[in-house]
Amino acid sequence: MWYNFHNKLNNILSVFCDRMNNIVSIGTSHHVAPIEFREKLAFSEEQLIESLHNLRSSYHLEEAVILSTCNRVEVYAVANPQMTTESPSKTLIDFLSHYHRIGVDMLKKWSYLHQNIESIQHLFRVTSSLDSMVVGESQILGQVKEAYDISRSAGGSGTILNRLFTKAFSVGKRIRSETTIASGAVSISYAAVELAKKIFNTLEDKTVAIIGAGEMSELTAKHLVANGVSKVIVANRTYERAVKLAEKFNGIPVSYDEDLSFLIDADIVISSTEAPNYMIERKPLAEIMKKRKHQYMFLIDIAVPRDIEPDVSKINHAFLYNIDDLEAVVASNIKDRHEEANRAEQIVTEEARRFHDQLQILEVNPTIKALHQQFQDIADVELQECINLTELSTSQEAAITSMAHAIVKKLLHHPVKNLRNSVNDGNTDHSQYVLALKQLFALDEKYDKEQE
Amino acid sequence: MNFLFLITVLLYLATTIFHVLYLTLGERSEAVSIRSRIEMIAFWVTILAFAFLTLFIILWWIEQSYFPITKWSDSTAFFAWTITLVYLIIVRLTKLRTLGSFVMPVAFVFILISYSFSETTPHRSELFTTNWVIPHIILIILGYASFIAAFGFGLMYLIAEKKIREKNQTLFYNLLPPLDVADELGYIFILLGVILLTIGVIVGLFLPTYLKDLPWNWFDPKVISTLVTWLIYVVHIGIRYFWGWRGRKAAFLSILGFLAVLCTYVGVDLTLDSLHEFQ
Repeated sequence: MWYNFHNKLNNILSVFCDRMNNIVSIGTSHHVAPIEFREKLAFSEEQLIESLHNLRSSYHLEEAVILSTCNRVEVYAVANPQMTTESPSKTLIDFLSHYHRIGVDMLKKWSYLHQNIESIQHLFRVTSSLDSMVVGESQILGQVKEAYDISRSAGGSGTILNRLFTKAFSVGKRIRSETTIASGAVSISYAAVELAKKIFNTLEDKTVAIIGAGEMSELTAKHLVANGVSKVIVANRTYERAVKLAEKFNGIPVSYDEDLSFLIDADIVISSTEAPNYMIERKPLAEIMKKRKHQYMFLIDIAVPRDIEPDVSKINHAFLYNIDDLEAVVASNIKDRHEEANRAEQIVTEEARRFHDQLQILEVNPTIKALHQQFQDIADVELQECINLTELSTSQEAAITSMAHAIVKKLLHHPVKNLRNSVNDGNTDHSQYVLALKQLFALDEKYDKEQE
Repeated sequence: MNFLFLITVLLYLATTIFHVLYLTLGERSEAVSIRSRIEMIAFWVTILAFAFLTLFIILWWIEQSYFPITKWSDSTAFFAWTITLVYLIIVRLTKLRTLGSFVMPVAFVFILISYSFSETTPHRSELFTTNWVIPHIILIILGYASFIAAFGFGLMYLIAEKKIREKNQTLFYNLLPPLDVADELGYIFILLGVILLTIGVIVGLFLPTYLKDLPWNWFDPKVISTLVTWLIYVVHIGIRYFWGWRGRKAAFLSILGFLAVLCTYVGVDLTLDSLHEFQ
């Protein structure tokens, strides 16, 4: 393990030390580390801001974003190797081990290190929820956004990480809209809401009745209310308990009655009592259905032993789902999401590659600009001298000027074209070209002077 | 001319195939992106087919100098045209493209009938092209097209309800509308159909006074058959209104009504002698 790690570090050092900017990341998640370790690495918001300053001032990193959730802690950074002699990955390890007072060995054992395209791909996987406990969950996108906003306002992120995170959000959205990894409920309560929407076009004017208390029925009722259900009826054998429960949902308390008359307005019924026998039987319910002119009724029985007589499903317009039915729906949705994840991975890989290429072109652009500037400056100086020395008519002056510009353009045509191509073809190391150009034409001096 | 009409028929065949494919492609994985593409193709092919057919109807109109509807081939072409029109309006209003998988095959069958009868072009007597005969037919055909839409919603309702009852989430489960939507829309189109059919029939009732030579017969097979169709739908509306019958029973009635429409429109024409017979 340690040996591999060491090797990897060396690789990073040797391959990337002459590059301009590296994206590096270190992180730990529920996939690789137990909670005991993750909680040690976690950052509070103040710690986060403090650390971002630290990373930039003491550790000489150009940019940094820290993401800290209950399932993962990750640090993304951009390093300029010309600023430090240390490898950026080692910098990150040092930072984490100092800040949280964790042994380097522990960190090496329970975290992952990525650089450049790997980092990009990892972040895209995270925002696409492919790295989450429940594939397709929606929370992570918001969490990353929040972390990014904090880092940005604390001055942590700059040009490159801003681009990276903006892209990561759009990839996350693209995955969710183009694949079905986020569709299909993966919890019982959401499955119930989704089923209700298969029966009712809108839940807004609907009434839900809850019989008995329980975490699951409360959660389901909450989701239904969040999806527009306007009226909640809470039934219990004792009216006092019904009143108590009803307060939670702003509901109407009613006392349970065996003739089920309290269900006359109910479009959705959730039952989860501990009663040993059926709370809702077919006969009285059929009567109620007649009274409500056969409006649809969706019954959810989450109780074990069951609260609703199974034969109820034979009543026209009454749809009954018990806990097993809902669990089967959830299981099949989870299976579908995992199948769909493969397709999502392909999109992530493709997007990461494209983004990586774009970044490299971005790296090349200042060099091209500087090269153009230098040639143009030389041409302008010589041109001015020539014009000052000789007496030319306006038309002659214009002709010479345009000739000088044309020469600059043509001289630079091939080098610039080849430099751009070196980024796109992926075989040639464009950073070598950039370095060579900078040294051969002494571009850096000029560039640095302008910066000042 | 005939060749171009064959292209229209083939376009209708294509849109039928795409619509059915769209529905049966399956729910998950790769199907999703392929489906959205097929959905687009199906939609634009429908538009193209509709445009072609519109053009033909206009051409026939110019050629015959009266609205082309009295011949059997013209009438069925117009029927296919109205089915498409109603479908496109529904898509515009509700985005329920799945309906096309149920109604476009019907439109295709009628355009095919129209094509295969287009060779026989006898001229009807002048009687049938004057006065109120043409509005009479147009109104009734519009009513029929509404019933076809209601039939589509009825089928969708039955499939969706079966899936929910059987807790079966496979195959086009997500493409079907919520139960109450399928039910309501089916009802709306039955109402619309009944209104159009009623007006159409009333217009027809005045015709014998205009056309004195008409050998009018109250027991004309088409009259009886239309009455039966009309009754099915009126009963449907009545029991829904008074007894709250909806859902499955209503869906079955709309399918029964569809069969009655087919009997009246096609069956009577092809088998029995009737004054109303298209030629």
